[in-house]
Amino acid sequence: MQTPIGFVRERLPISGDRLRELTNEPVPHHLKRWWFALGGTPAYLFVVQIVTGILLAFYYQPAPGTAYESVRSITEDVAFGWFLRGVHRWGATLMVAAVILHQMRVFFTGAYRKPREINWMVGMCLLLCTLMLGFTGYSLVYEQLSFWGATVAANVAEGTPLIGGMLKRFLLAGDTYNDHTLPRFFILHAALLPMALAGLVVLHILIIRLQGVTELEFENEPEEEKQSHFNFFPDHFYTELMIGLLLMILLSALATIFPAAMGPRADPLTTPEIIKPEWYFYVAFRWLKLFSGTAAILSMGFIVFTMFFWPFVDAWIRRRTRFPEASVWIGAIAALAIIGLTLWEASVAH
Amino acid sequence: MTLNAKRWIIAFLGFTFLASLLFVQYEEVTRRRVEVGLTSHSISIPASSKQCAECHGQLTPAILDHWKGSTHAEKGVGCVECHRAEKGDVDGFDHYGALIATVVTPRDCARCHAAVESEFARSHHAAAGNILASLDNTLAEQVEGSRTPFDPHGAPVAGRKAEPVNGMAFAQVGCQQCHGSKVALKATDGSKVTVDDLKPGPDGKPTNLDAVGKVLKDQNGKPMFDAGSWPNTGIGRLNLDGSKGSCSACHSRHDFSPRRARQPENCGKCHLGPDHPQKEIYEESKHGVAYRDLKDKMNLDAPKWVLGKDYTQAPTCATCHMSGNLRNGGRVTHDPGERISWTNRPPISLPMDTDAEHRVITEADSEKRAKLIADTAEAKRTRMKEVCSHCHTSDYVNLFYKQYDDFVALYNEKFAKPGKLIMDTLVKADLITKKQFDEPVEWSWYLLWHHEGRRARHGASMMAPDYAHWHGTFEVAERFYEHMIPQVREIVEKARAEGKTDAAKQVEDVVNEILNRPEHSYILKQK
Repeated sequence: MQTPIGFVRERLPISGDRLRELTNEPVPHHLKRWWFALGGTPAYLFVVQIVTGILLAFYYQPAPGTAYESVRSITEDVAFGWFLRGVHRWGATLMVAAVILHQMRVFFTGAYRKPREINWMVGMCLLLCTLMLGFTGYSLVYEQLSFWGATVAANVAEGTPLIGGMLKRFLLAGDTYNDHTLPRFFILHAALLPMALAGLVVLHILIIRLQGVTELEFENEPEEEKQSHFNFFPDHFYTELMIGLLLMILLSALATIFPAAMGPRADPLTTPEIIKPEWYFYVAFRWLKLFSGTAAILSMGFIVFTMFFWPFVDAWIRRRTRFPEASVWIGAIAALAIIGLTLWEASVAH
Repeated sequence: MTLNAKRWIIAFLGFTFLASLLFVQYEEVTRRRVEVGLTSHSISIPASSKQCAECHGQLTPAILDHWKGSTHAEKGVGCVECHRAEKGDVDGFDHYGALIATVVTPRDCARCHAAVESEFARSHHAAAGNILASLDNTLAEQVEGSRTPFDPHGAPVAGRKAEPVNGMAFAQVGCQQCHGSKVALKATDGSKVTVDDLKPGPDGKPTNLDAVGKVLKDQNGKPMFDAGSWPNTGIGRLNLDGSKGSCSACHSRHDFSPRRARQPENCGKCHLGPDHPQKEIYEESKHGVAYRDLKDKMNLDAPKWVLGKDYTQAPTCATCHMSGNLRNGGRVTHDPGERISWTNRPPISLPMDTDAEHRVITEADSEKRAKLIADTAEAKRTRMKEVCSHCHTSDYVNLFYKQYDDFVALYNEKFAKPGKLIMDTLVKADLITKKQFDEPVEWSWYLLWHHEGRRARHGASMMAPDYAHWHGTFEVAERFYEHMIPQVREIVEKARAEGKTDAAKQVEDVVNEILNRPEHSYILKQK
């Protein structure tokens, strides 16, 4: 009589030892410091977003005539709808924050340097994907911010030289916001972007496994801890579990205490006096207001381009100049500028 | 950190997360229970009203039950908070240790709702009691009833005692239940004590203490009301404290439900019938049809009930005339006149240019008129258009208003102004008395503008074609050509036969001049 385990083993020839080895990569000692475990948080939140997003999609209707009402119904009628929507909304905010924090940690520890340049660029794609998910996400509610946010974004895109018109038409499915715009945002938000993000996450982790994590040492560390490793399971797994649980508690609390509200329904005839995107676009929004049209778009494009290829720029600076740690200063100034522009936008009405 | 410590922290966090999910579950269940009506909202009876609730829960359980369903109950506003009287209030009496009054007036409601009260006080609603000295009241008090009581004639009706007949009963039960009574207390000398006798000061306290002294009280010291004036929830009630109106006219006691006030049936207590059938007009209109169909989706319980935010399905009376909307920032007004650009109440419709006292300006001289205007008809129309624009384009709204203006102008010019001119000439020529309703032509004229003319204009204002035409202008025309003009001609003939040639000619000239106008040519050719 074959045991059930034997039955499965026979059909799925997986060696327990190989599996243990695969999942039990030795982890460098510095990862015992919790801020080095930030990379897992966006991935974790992404799973939360997928689960809550699928549940929300059961009820959401992506058409201008029904979208707002369906979101209202999710918030007010559907069982636990308010909670799922709250978690999804706060999950999005936390995910953007987590990606930014993780990227800053990678930047300031120089973890993007050779041979990890490609993974930095994958990371940049992950950041852009996350931001686009955020943008398409709040476009789906079909409140005033959704409609006018999309319109403003399309007009900004139109300012891009050569391909501006095409970008705008791609975004809006026409020259202006129309019946096909919302379904397009929905497909982007619920299918294309998550698939892209999932693929990129797999690639990101695969590269990490191929190269191993950057090994860092600290000045005041005892000698025996330098260069030492510990097991992924259960030690690091527990750390990730703790962070995951903390995040879930935080999400649950935020969704209950500050539930996702709804703004006024989109009204194509009434331009709101004040239109503000989500906080993570404040910096771009302020930048667009500081410089006019194409100049703003080109400069922003240049900044993103530089960020994308930063590992090579940094390598060039280290090779050719007398300031090998210039990246820290540039990063600090950039971070201050981003925080400054964000606060500036947050503090003024227009 | 040791592995064991991590395990303990994970266990703790796991339980905390589980607890947070349990809390979410609790929230959801509570929400569901309230939604399906399994639990009512939590209420608290304030200590000061505990005693009231104990007795009245037995004596008048429905009052207490209604109150329990109110926002007042939720917020801990009990019986005493509203019924509280102050020392010196003429209708105050000691009721088991609490000084209270029976009638709650807008002045009482203003203790919490001051802004609402001041809006209401300047509205036409609050002035509805002015009818007590008007033509309509002459009709109810004198033509239909009798201002002085009289003894029954012949043998009393079987089963009834022979007692003097109250000739004011028609006015009191008919007119005053909408327009408001002048609240009166019985006096020891058999007369009545009203606000006119009490002469209340700015604080609502009576200044004429002689009048206070002669108020008749029952064995418990409670002032006795004159039955003709109370019970009354007329919207322009003249209260003993000098305030005007009654909030419960729309916000029925004792649950003061905003939900009910938002529904047209609430306004239908008064705004219906042959002379101003606004409720029926609304029901005929597309607005009313949509409301009947979609009422359940209109979120009538929403705390603010803002058009464009809380609902968009259909407008009710409140939507257009009072409630907040997205365009006006959700501002509710308790002065329904704020958005009305024509007054169709008088014989000849007037634009609602109002003065500082919110009275319609009748001054014709444009310079003097401009000085008097505090709020123009145009501004009022703009406010209404803000409401319309949630569902209609500006073109649509502007063209509707053009249709409406044209309708009112045609009525004014073809029938109202000529009718008034004829009636004024008849009085001037001394061919009819100044006294109302003693000649058939006065009934005809009254029916023309007060019933048929208003039906027509209100029908046009609220998109009810049948009221505009068949119940309206068709009957206006019939009344004018087939009743009024023949009656005037008869008066003229009679005057001529009696030798009053000049007077007869004066009226005849006016009638002929009117009928010779091009707009009346069809009828002339027929005759």
